[in-house]
Formats: sequence, structure tokens, C-alpha cells
Amino acid sequence: MRTIDDFTRPLEYLSPLDDPLGMIVREWAETWVIPHRRRFDEDWKEHRLIEPAFKRLMGELGLQRVLFPEDLGGWGLGRSNYAGTSSYRLFEEVARADSGMAVAFGVVFWPLVMICMEPHVNRQLCEEFAPIFCSTTEPRFAANAMTEPQGGADIENMEIVKGSTIQTTAVLDGDEWVINGHKLWPTNSGGVCDLFGVVCTTNPGSEDPNDFAFIFVPADTPGVTQGPPYEKAGMAADKNGDIWFENVRVPKHYRAHGPGLDLLYFKEVITFGNLGSIAFVGGSMMNVYERLYQFVSEETYRGKPLKEHDAVAGALADIARDIEIIRIVGYQYARMVDRPDLYGPRWSEEMVAKGRAYKYWACDRAVEDVGRAMNIMSLYGADRDWDVEKHWRDLKIVQLWMGGKQLCQAEVARWFFDCRTL
Amino acid sequence: MGNSYSFPFLCEWATEMDLSLAENLREWAENEVMARRLELKEDYEGLLEPAIRKLFLEIGLQRLFWPEEYGGDGHNLPSAAVTATAALEQVARGDVGIAFLLSCLLALQSAVAMEGEVKEEICSALQEIITSKDDPALVSLVLPLYRDEPQATARAAKGGWTVEAASARPLACGASASFFGVLCALEGSEDGVGLLVLPGGTKGLKRGEAIKRTGLAVDRHAEVTLEKVKVSEGMCAARGPEACRAFLAWLYMGISASNVGALFASYEILREWGDNRVIKGRGNIFKENPLTASVMAEVAQDTALSRMLTWNLARMLSEPGVYGPAGAEDNYVTALMVAHHVSQAAERAINRSMEMMASAGYAKEWNLERYWRDVKTMQLCLGPYELAKMDVSRFFYHASGL
Ligand SMILES: Cc1cc2nc3c(=O)[nH]c(=O)nc-3n(C[C@H](O)[C@H](O)[C@H](O)COP(=O)(O)OP(=O)(O)OC[C@H]3O[C@@H](n4cnc5c(N)ncnc54)[C@H](O)[C@@H]3O)c2cc1C
Repeated sequence: MRTIDDFTRPLEYLSPLDDPLGMIVREWAETWVIPHRRRFDEDWKEHRLIEPAFKRLMGELGLQRVLFPEDLGGWGLGRSNYAGTSSYRLFEEVARADSGMAVAFGVVFWPLVMICMEPHVNRQLCEEFAPIFCSTTEPRFAANAMTEPQGGADIENMEIVKGSTIQTTAVLDGDEWVINGHKLWPTNSGGVCDLFGVVCTTNPGSEDPNDFAFIFVPADTPGVTQGPPYEKAGMAADKNGDIWFENVRVPKHYRAHGPGLDLLYFKEVITFGNLGSIAFVGGSMMNVYERLYQFVSEETYRGKPLKEHDAVAGALADIARDIEIIRIVGYQYARMVDRPDLYGPRWSEEMVAKGRAYKYWACDRAVEDVGRAMNIMSLYGADRDWDVEKHWRDLKIVQLWMGGKQLCQAEVARWFFDCRTL
Repeated sequence: MGNSYSFPFLCEWATEMDLSLAENLREWAENEVMARRLELKEDYEGLLEPAIRKLFLEIGLQRLFWPEEYGGDGHNLPSAAVTATAALEQVARGDVGIAFLLSCLLALQSAVAMEGEVKEEICSALQEIITSKDDPALVSLVLPLYRDEPQATARAAKGGWTVEAASARPLACGASASFFGVLCALEGSEDGVGLLVLPGGTKGLKRGEAIKRTGLAVDRHAEVTLEKVKVSEGMCAARGPEACRAFLAWLYMGISASNVGALFASYEILREWGDNRVIKGRGNIFKENPLTASVMAEVAQDTALSRMLTWNLARMLSEPGVYGPAGAEDNYVTALMVAHHVSQAAERAINRSMEMMASAGYAKEWNLERYWRDVKTMQLCLGPYELAKMDVSRFFYHASGL
């Protein structure tokens, strides 16, 4: 019998952590998530069921520490040459069980990419923030606060809008930044966040890259208020809400790197966002495959398993083809992330554009394929108990976030066709 | 029909009464559902149940197509297909689930209450349910999950049938239905299939546990088991392939119209977004951006064409003198194609509308996502598209082996 492990991985460039970590997370998923996930939707606000699974994965198994340097209690992934491929596998395995959990887990590292990744490790900030994540067995969450009420896509649309719409301001007052603004939707907001990375401007309306600032704000800093989580179509394990920053003061050195460099390395954050998104899609699709495999093998039509009907098999083949290709593309991008010596810096326009291309392709295929899988399952396709509909609801947002598909299209066209005004 | 007038339909086919009913239902949708859903979301007791009561009982849609001699309003002619389409569009704009339940009821009524073909025993048995002032008439239809394989079998017994079905999955309302319409394989009968009507309290009919689903929150979904259920011959609403196909053609029309209503609602939500949202820096109104405008065009196109197809189907069913009986194979295949096409168009268009609205499209607060879940859930009631295509090919290419 075929399993998800029969989908191809590029064996010659797997990280040494790929299989050991993959198996640990798979076991965690089977024990802590899969038996309970059908009740997650009702748990969106409280996280009573979801929280213990996070605690196990992030706190007790220690996976929230992986990016930090070893001497600070981390696993040193940020200094390795396999951060891309190993995180791809990690996110894929978590997403197989629940892509909302994968996002919440993945975003812990998202703002930390700014300070934990070679060649731009900010040692001082690593030292300061490592204890939050590395000296506890409780789950700790970070959030990457970009989106604002007037629009998230524009904030990510750096090449054209150049940060000019950012309304969250950072003003230097002596040795402190004073931050004012309103963010919404970040993963791990909605009350759970411990550490924010906040996209700010030091000069509202400016298109100067030097005015883009990425500043860390511990969630318990006076003046930070987190609103309750929003109710969504899916992804109950990810809490998203409003955050208000009112005269929030943080030390000057909480700015990740300073003028120009903040924006440069922020593009690497986008690269990791795209990589993570492909892994979330790929992982969910693996589980869709597993559930669909069972369904079409057990259900019969005209005395044969549904999968033996030629027309149904045609649709099943399309779905398997897409999962196979998503995985190959995802791992390839992960490899590109791991080898800047060959593929260029992770923050280059090229890497961002290619990541956007793979991400929106994977999302489009997944949204269509999971919809098709549900359709093959007739009335059962909408059942919570068959899990496929959950992946359908959850995955939709992967297509919509990070500026949505049209921003992806604009960036891809801009890079491949040298467009100047998109 | 308010804003939805922008999407063309052949208004010459609609009567004054159809149009004014649609206008009233538009108000029902706005007052009973849309005005209250921000606060009540998909709450059954607070929102959906009162809305369905108002629609089915007070406005009286459950009686509209019922024969006068059985206490109904007597609009039981084939032309009711157009009335139903005009009505369902507006109902679904408010709530797709309620429109779907109404579609099921109307399809069953088309089989039992059509003037000249009234099934007397069934109409007598259902009269109290349909004319009730207290409880909405909810029908649970048990149809094949996979194309031509009924979930239930009926064996000829003295003066009737003995029906069996193990953990059958109805389209809706397994837990709450006042009566059931069960499409059965008629064992030992040349007719092959038949639609049997069972009142909710029939002996041997067992309802299962509540099932959680993606959408159609108004539906109290559950499996049903039929153990040696006795049904008299007179409770057969449709006997043989043609009669069963006619019933299905009406159901498919109802599902198509309900999808159109969902498309109207999504269009309105997207239009408001397009008018007000700014992207690509200050002063650039969303709808004026060519990239998003091209997606919005496809959404409008899916909506407009779905409406045209649905009205054409309604017209065909309303004029058997011109197009032949509803259950003729060509009409059935048309209905099947329209329903699948429209429901895929609805899935696609709402998917794309969500793309346009990003997080807002995904948040319950904006209401778009509920239409997305609802139309997908309703689509699954048509069964797998891959199998439906076999009927289409069978008809158009004479592929009789399929
Ligand atoms: C579960 C979830 C998790 C999230 N996580 C995070 C997070 O961790 N951090 C964070 O900051 N935000 C997060 N978000 C927010 C998300 O990233 C934004 O919603 C997204 O970036 C789009 O922004 P918006 O919703 O403001 O829509 P808008 O910016 O208004 O964009 C809406 C649509 O406009 C179109 N569009 C935008 N720009 C262009 C253009 N230049 N050309 C053509 N069309 C365009 C696209 O179709 C886009 O989808 C999350 C949201 C959800 C639901």
C-alpha cells in the first residue's frame, strides 16, 4: 500500500535533521493532534484543546528553540545550511495534522529570521530574546505584525509602494523608540503573543528604504493591547486579532538592523513566508491524500472500489500529480534558501519573486484539488469526520495571506518580464 | 429584484406575481437574515429557525405550490418552475441553506402535487404538515450518493413496499425532517427505481447522531436507517426512471437557483469592497485596478451566465408542451449539466471573490465565507461530478455502456 512517504523528496539534499525531526513530529501529530482536531473549530477562542498540543511540540519537545544559537539554548538552525529544508519538513509534518498549528508554530520563527539567520545574526537581540523561548517548557509565541487596517498587500508591496502606506510610526526619543499604530491579523496575535516584530515607518508617507523599520516589542510592554481573536472560516489553531501600540517605548537597539538593512532582510522574511506557505499546503495535501485514499478504497460504486472507476481515477491522478509536484517544488525552494552561495541571497528580488510564484501556484492547485476531493466524496466530502473539508477551509487562507495572489502575480511578472510600473 | 437586476434574465418569462414575490423575498432576506447576521452569525435558534418559520409559515412558501384542494395556494402548474427560480434566488441571497431546504421541498411537491398528476394518498398524508401553522415542512431526501445507485431498496410487499436502508445519508434534515423522500431501487419491479414518501414518524425509521458539516448551518444533518419500513403503494411519488428524473430535474433547478442567489450576495459584498478599498498606495480605488478588475469581471461573468442558464432551465421545465416532459432524458441531462456548471461557477466565483478580499473574505464578519462554505456543501448534494459526466456522455454520444 502506498503512503505519503512515497511522494518524492530530493534525497541528495535532505538535511541531517529531516528524518529524525520528521518522525518526532509525525508521532506528536498522531498523538496530540489528529485524535482531537475535529473539535478544534469550536476551540478557536479558548484553545483549551489546542494549547496542550502546542506545549508538547514547542515547549517540551523544544522546537520553539531551533533557530537560536546553541550557546543560547537553541539548536543553531539559523547558522546551519539547512534551515530551509529542515523547516520545510517540520512545517509539512505539522500541517499534515493541522495547518493552523503549522502556521502558529512557523510564525514563531518568522520575525526571528531577522535576527537569528546568518549572515545577519543580531547577537545582542538573540541574547535578549532567547530566554523567552529557550528557558521554558511552556509554548511561547512570536508574531510578525505587518498588516494594517488600510491594507496588508501594500505593506508587502515594497518594490512599488515602498513602505509609503505604513501608518505605524516609530519615533526615536533619546535611547528609545516610541511606537504608535494599529496592526491586525498577525498570526499568534489575538492574545497569545509574547514577542512582536513590528513593521513601522520612521517617516510616514516616505518611500525611502531607510525609513522602513523592523522593531521588536515584547508583548507585555506598557501601551501594547491585544484584542480578542477573530472568527474565521478555518484555521482555528491560529489566533488573529488587533494590536494597538500606544506610545509604546522600547530600547533603541530593538530595531533589528537599522536604516536600509531592515528592509533588505525583511525581504528574507517574505522568502521564508513563501517557503512556509508551500510546506503548509504540501502537508495538508498529504493528509487529504491519506483520507481520500481510504475513502475511495472503501466506498464502492457498481461493485468496485470508487478508485477503480476510470473517470474517478483520472481525477485522483490529477490530485496525486499536484501533491507530488508541490513537494518537489517546495523542497527545491527550500534548497535554494539553504544555498545562497548558488542561488543568491535569500532577500534578493529573484528569490522573493520565485517564492511567490511557487507559493501561489501551490495554493491555486491545492484549493482546486481539495475542492475536487470533496466532490469525489459526494455528501461525505462536507463531513467534519472525514477531515478533508477542514483542510479545504484551512488552506484557503494560505492563498489569501501575504498580500494575496495578485501581489504574487505582480511580483512574478515584474521580475520575469522586467515590468516597471506594476 | 433590486441590484440583481444588473444580471440579465429573460423577464418576459416571469409573471407580475413572480416579480412581486421575488421583491417580497428580497425584503425577507434583508430583514430576517442579513440585518441580524453580524450579531447572530449562523445561530440556529436565534437567526435561522425564526427566518425559516417566517418564510415557510408566515409568508407561506411551503403552501404556495400545494394544490388548493389540499389546503395550499394552488400554484401547482409547471410554470411554478419560473416562480420557484425567482423566489429561490432571493431566498439564497439571504441564506443558501434555507433556499436549499426549500428546493428539496419544491422538488418533492413537483412530483406529488402537479395539477393533473396529483398523488392523492401522499397529498392527504402530507396535508397537515404542509398546511401547518406551527412547524415548517422540512423534507429529507435520500438520493443516490453515486449517480444511479440508490441508498435504499424497496421490496414489493402486500399493497406496497418494504424499504431498507442502512445508515443512509440524506441531502439534508435527517434529524429534523417532517417527512422523507427516499429514492429506492425497486426490487423485482420493471420500473427499477421509485421515489417513496415516508412521514417522519414512520415505524422502522431511525435518525442518527447529528453530523457536523462544512456549511448549510440550517440543516440538522444526520443519517437515517430504514428497517423493514412499510410503505403503501399510494405513497410512491415517482415510479420508473422518467418520473424520478423529472423530480431530480426540479431539484437541480432549485439548486441552480440557490447558487445564483449566493452569487448575487457575493457580488454585492465584493462590489462594496471594490468601491471602498484602496490598494497600491493612496487614492487607487480597488475596482479601478486592471488586475483585480479582470478577476472581478470573471466573478460577474460567472454570476450572469449562471443566472441565464438557470432561467433557461426553469423555462424548459415550465413549458413541457414545448420542451417535452421534465423527465425526458434530454431535459434531465440539461438540468444535470446546468446544476453542475452553475455550482462549479459559484464555487469558483466565490473563491475568487475571497481572493479579492483577502483576510476580510476569510473572516466571518464579512459574511462572504459563509456563502463559500454553503455553495460547496450544496454542490456535494449533486454527487461526484466525475460520475455525473457519465450521464452526459451517455446521452450525447450514445455511450450506453457507461
Ligand atoms: C490566518 C491569517 C494569518 C495571517 N497572518 C499574518 C501575519 O502573520 N502577519 C501579518 O502581518 N498579517 C497576517 N495576516 C494578514 C494577511 O497577510 C493579509 O490579509 C494579506 O496580506 C492581505 O491584506 P489585506 O487583507 O489587508 O487585503 P488588501 O491589502 O486590501 O488586499 C486585498 C486584495 O487586493 C488585491 N491586491 C492587493 N495589492 C494589489 C496590487 N498591487 N495589484 C493588484 N491587486 C492587488 C489582492 O487581490 C489582495 O488579495 C493573516 C491573515 C490571516 C487570515
